Amino acid sequence: MDAQVVEIREALRQAMDEEMARDPTVLIMGEEVAEYNGAYKVTKGMLAKWGPERVVDTPIAENGFAGIAIGAAQTGLRPIVEFMSWNFSFVAADQLISNACKAHYMSGGRFKVPIVFRGPNGAAAQVSCQHSHCVEAIYGNLPGFIVISPSNAYDAKGLLKSAIRSNNPVIFLENELEYGDKMEIPTEEYLVPIGKARIDREGKHATIVSYSRMLKFCRTAADEMAKKGISVEIIDLRTIKPLDIATVVASVRKTHRCVLVEEGHIFAGISAEVGFQIMEHCFDELDAPLVRVCQRETPMPYAKLLEAETMPGKERILAALEEVLS
Amino acid sequence: MRKKPYHFFEHDRDLVLAEIGKEKLLSALKNMLLVRNLEIRGEAAYQQGKVGGFYHSYMGQEAIQAGCVAAVGVDHWFTTTYRCHALALLLGATPNEIMAELYGKATGNAGGRGGSMHLYAAHLLGGLAIVGGHVPIATGAAFSIKYLKKKDLASFCFLGDGAVVQGAVHESLNIASLWNLPCLYVIENNKWGMGTAVERAVCVEPIAESFAPAYDMKFYTLDGMDFFNCYAGFKEALKEVLATSRPVMIEAVTERFRGHSISDPALYRSKEELARTMQRDPIVLLKDALIGKGMLTEERFKEMDKEQKEIVLAAMKFAEESPDPDPMTLEQGVFAPEEN
Repeated sequence: MDAQVVEIREALRQAMDEEMARDPTVLIMGEEVAEYNGAYKVTKGMLAKWGPERVVDTPIAENGFAGIAIGAAQTGLRPIVEFMSWNFSFVAADQLISNACKAHYMSGGRFKVPIVFRGPNGAAAQVSCQHSHCVEAIYGNLPGFIVISPSNAYDAKGLLKSAIRSNNPVIFLENELEYGDKMEIPTEEYLVPIGKARIDREGKHATIVSYSRMLKFCRTAADEMAKKGISVEIIDLRTIKPLDIATVVASVRKTHRCVLVEEGHIFAGISAEVGFQIMEHCFDELDAPLVRVCQRETPMPYAKLLEAETMPGKERILAALEEVLS
Repeated sequence: MRKKPYHFFEHDRDLVLAEIGKEKLLSALKNMLLVRNLEIRGEAAYQQGKVGGFYHSYMGQEAIQAGCVAAVGVDHWFTTTYRCHALALLLGATPNEIMAELYGKATGNAGGRGGSMHLYAAHLLGGLAIVGGHVPIATGAAFSIKYLKKKDLASFCFLGDGAVVQGAVHESLNIASLWNLPCLYVIENNKWGMGTAVERAVCVEPIAESFAPAYDMKFYTLDGMDFFNCYAGFKEALKEVLATSRPVMIEAVTERFRGHSISDPALYRSKEELARTMQRDPIVLLKDALIGKGMLTEERFKEMDKEQKEIVLAAMKFAEESPDPDPMTLEQGVFAPEEN
């Protein structure tokens, strides 16, 4: 099989490009996606290839263009909406919450909403309080949404293609700090199915459940533990909702100990949900209480030192592993 | 509030009468009577505890949407507010399915998922109940029409006077104008945003005449109580939109006969005020015009009213006898089926 080495941003671009070639109703809309070639260059070159009808620059009016895209999705198109940051989706919250995820149910199944909202989620480098929030727990709380958060180029491409083909609204969470991460992926077309977690690394003494950029910290922590002869299994959720609890539970049944790592906040977060489902499915298999490593209960501070302090990192993950293994 | 004089769209009633023709006029009157009867009976069912949630009556405003649909047909996209019973009926939802939805039955318009505020038809995107939040959706339908190059279609967005101050409306109007989207924004100024008079909520009136120029849109002010004015105005506005692929703004001046919803006794409006408004009942105005032209008699009108009442009573019976939604289906429809 032919292979290519690409950055995540290129993998995402290929996914959109291939799907636009496959289906003329697919279009991309958002701030700076066309003439500027994307704030993070994910849509680079797409205007030149597809023209302004299908690569649509919007004014800075998230509530307006998100709603317009939802209305377009209900009337025959398959829009991909880029939020320059997921933090800007809060301006469009009414459209996402009251229309996108409810229209199908509310209309008795009459109108589907095949739409992808995508963009960088969570913290970047010192972008402070209003540009750093993780949104998965917020949107994950709403029935009707699919929530996806890939951690590498292979999954980013395959999952985005599946998301564009889905007949349902998808919250697709990328990470600004990972757009440049390179990986070898196939040249041939492929899909990654929605709703399937991936075992990132096999192990037998403890399980870490995480996703997106936090995988990196989990791996370094697992490497440290390996030096002490402790093997840690890492699960990359890839799709947060629907949650692949079966893969998580199978791992916990094997290791009997589990740490949940999440960039977002601890209160009512994804780890709280996954942890509770572990308890529901295999409480008797646990040899130690679950431990969560999440963002502390602060808005994201600007100063580097404080930013690192509030975020999960290798040291906190190691401490959590020591705790479940003690 | 800065109140300036209104400039109503002018039409020649005899020309409009001749253009529509007797059959279509009687059909429109019948539709208005169906809406009126459905609202009266729906409210009665609510009072009996058969209908739950909120109930927003369209009584008094019938000429607007009846005139619109008579003038433009049912093939365009339509979006409206929670006050949606009339438009659903006019766009082809049956009295049975609407009443069954109000009763929360399995046979309802949305299978008992939507209720009074969320009714649909093949080209009606709702029945959406966040004030102003449906305006981007309607604008999106206009985006699709343009994208798919359907040159004989437009998107009709009905909104209330209370909604025009919402940010979502401003964003939609700006983008619709910027992108040349074929959308008609129809502001039904019924004088009240819940219990707040329009002059206490909107900084300037007329609404369309004042707002539209800022968005570089053409505007039309219609007498929302006069079926002929509405019919002619919508016909003209659609012609403009299709010819130019530009959005337009319409303000239909009306006044609802009821409170904001059924739980609102409308104490903010005096009896005299309401009586004055009801003197211009759109159904009576149309009836009198048709009688004046020899197209209708008082007797025939009474028969028509009775026929529509019978249809609604039959719909209530249908709703009453329909099964409740099966609890086993509760989680069905949260997601649309995937093809693969």
